[in-house]
Amino acid sequence: MTELRHAISGTPPRPIRSPIDKIALLAAPGLLYLAVLYAIPLLLLLLQSFRSEDGGITLDAYTSFFAESYNLEVLLRTLRVAFLTTLLSLAIAYPTAIAMNRAKGVWLTVFLVAMVLPMSLGVVVKAFAWSILFRSNGALNQTMEFIGLIDAPIRMLFTETALVVGAANVFLPFMVLPIYAVLRQQDEALQHAAASLGAGPIFRFFNVSLPLTLPGIVAGAAFVFSMSISMYVIPSLIVGETQQTLPMLIARSFLYLRNEQLGSTISAILLIIAIVVVLSSSFLAARLGAKE
Amino acid sequence: MNPISRRSLLKGTGALALGTLALPGIVRAQSKELVIGCAGSHTAWMEQIVAPHMRETIGAEILFEGTKSSVNLEKMASNRSNPYLSVVQMDDPVMIQAVEEELLRPMDQSAVPNLANLRDGTIHMDGMWANYVQPWAGIAYNTNAREGVDSWSALWSEEAKGRVIIPSLQNTEGMWTLFAAAMLATGKPFAEAQYETDAAFAKLEELKPNVLTTYSIMSQAFNLLEQGEITMLSGNFSSYTLPRKAEGVPVDLAAPSEGIFAMPSGICLVKGGPNPELAEAYVNEMLGADLQAKIAEFASSVPANTKVDAGAIVPSGVPIHSPDWSFVTSNRREWIERFDKLMAG
Repeated sequence: MTELRHAISGTPPRPIRSPIDKIALLAAPGLLYLAVLYAIPLLLLLLQSFRSEDGGITLDAYTSFFAESYNLEVLLRTLRVAFLTTLLSLAIAYPTAIAMNRAKGVWLTVFLVAMVLPMSLGVVVKAFAWSILFRSNGALNQTMEFIGLIDAPIRMLFTETALVVGAANVFLPFMVLPIYAVLRQQDEALQHAAASLGAGPIFRFFNVSLPLTLPGIVAGAAFVFSMSISMYVIPSLIVGETQQTLPMLIARSFLYLRNEQLGSTISAILLIIAIVVVLSSSFLAARLGAKE
Repeated sequence: MNPISRRSLLKGTGALALGTLALPGIVRAQSKELVIGCAGSHTAWMEQIVAPHMRETIGAEILFEGTKSSVNLEKMASNRSNPYLSVVQMDDPVMIQAVEEELLRPMDQSAVPNLANLRDGTIHMDGMWANYVQPWAGIAYNTNAREGVDSWSALWSEEAKGRVIIPSLQNTEGMWTLFAAAMLATGKPFAEAQYETDAAFAKLEELKPNVLTTYSIMSQAFNLLEQGEITMLSGNFSSYTLPRKAEGVPVDLAAPSEGIFAMPSGICLVKGGPNPELAEAYVNEMLGADLQAKIAEFASSVPANTKVDAGAIVPSGVPIHSPDWSFVTSNRREWIERFDKLMAG
């Protein structure tokens, strides 16, 4: 009857919508898994950070955390290391992604394997490898001495520079792959069109290629920054306890100080930073996507 | 083919999640096994010596979770209502915390007969835990870089600038550098100096130019000692350095003239832990003469059982210090924070 009415009026029939999209249900196992093993414990952790000794609600843990200059120093170091790691990863990843995009056949396979295979190597192994390279008689110092950059070995082990280099090495694939994915979608005709209108290679890069790859850069930066601010094993092995980061403070609070509230508070601060980064990057990616 | 209904999808998801969470428990319940928490640095000899011995004598498969004492304590506290560890082997100061948090079950000679054969001073707090071996701690050094270390003051020497690593106070072996600093700063004997915390921290501050880093994970630091990147690793112990020396690595453990320290390795029963009788049998075997002799030899440590000859494991002619662990336990958290701030780069 309804169909007949539509046929008479000439309007197309409206599809009957189910309150739940059946395809969306495919996400249910993943969502349930994350809810049980991630979201609920995280919520409990957050609540713990606001709990006072008498069972009430308080902000004391936060005020005392920010009142301590050492904690602020650690917070700033964590952010600085994460920012520099992201920057270094981007500097290495962007040309790599361009080269991967140009590569064909076996070379493309080589690139992809070179990106993915090191991810199967444990972080501990990579950290040990870097500590060998950074030693006073290690390959880096010897090379710099050989080419005359330095007169005597310089200290690289247990420095912030070493941490940034080591972390960028571990997280590099997470920057390369999103940029590569965006580059793959670019229409090559755009470059030819720009060239035919007289645009040089540098102009084309800054006005055509770069703006189009920004969503990939934002996604990669969000990945690398989030992983860098929460890394624990890499700084523990590469810089030790003399340059602590927020995750190291969390471990110390729970395991050694047995101060669950302090650990929960620092975890909540780290979580807020991560949420801000993820939301900002999503917003940026959406804006940049819309501009395209 | 019938389409998947929403209800069956939800049922399947629930079953999958439940299965994922329950599977390890189901698999574990099917075999006669014990999960033991132990020190990460002990895992090698635990797997080589203890696991086969236990399979043969008490018929149990042993799963070792090698980590730091404080991590073992956290595992016990977090799983208080449903413990999965049956026995834990950790350092004395952390044992005191475990007793305070009511996580341990006392042992007695009726269940653990070998307790009767232990040296004086190895059973603590009415049988809450016992020391099963005692490695000794001094200064590990690279034999290509030095001939020995006569005094703890060598850590502060000009030639050691940037060539020393010390353990964090998060690790029990970190206490030895603090106590050595107290002795050097005050000139008092250890028994008195161990309470001079302010003097010890002031002396530690003077050590900063020589400290390449502080560690909470020892393996990396020891590797740098073996490679000659550092010349001295403070507070290291016989069960770690001497087996490496025996393998031909250019390292040795020095016993400085001011004294060495007795590393307190304890064993305890977890309150409410699974397989309680098997756990008691495990502890009894660990304290038995047969296994004690093997462990003492492999780990270059003093055995706790009086029926086993201690041999020449401990260097003679230097005092062996054992600190007031209750004083350490009551102050350790504050010391850790103070140490981290002091050593921050």
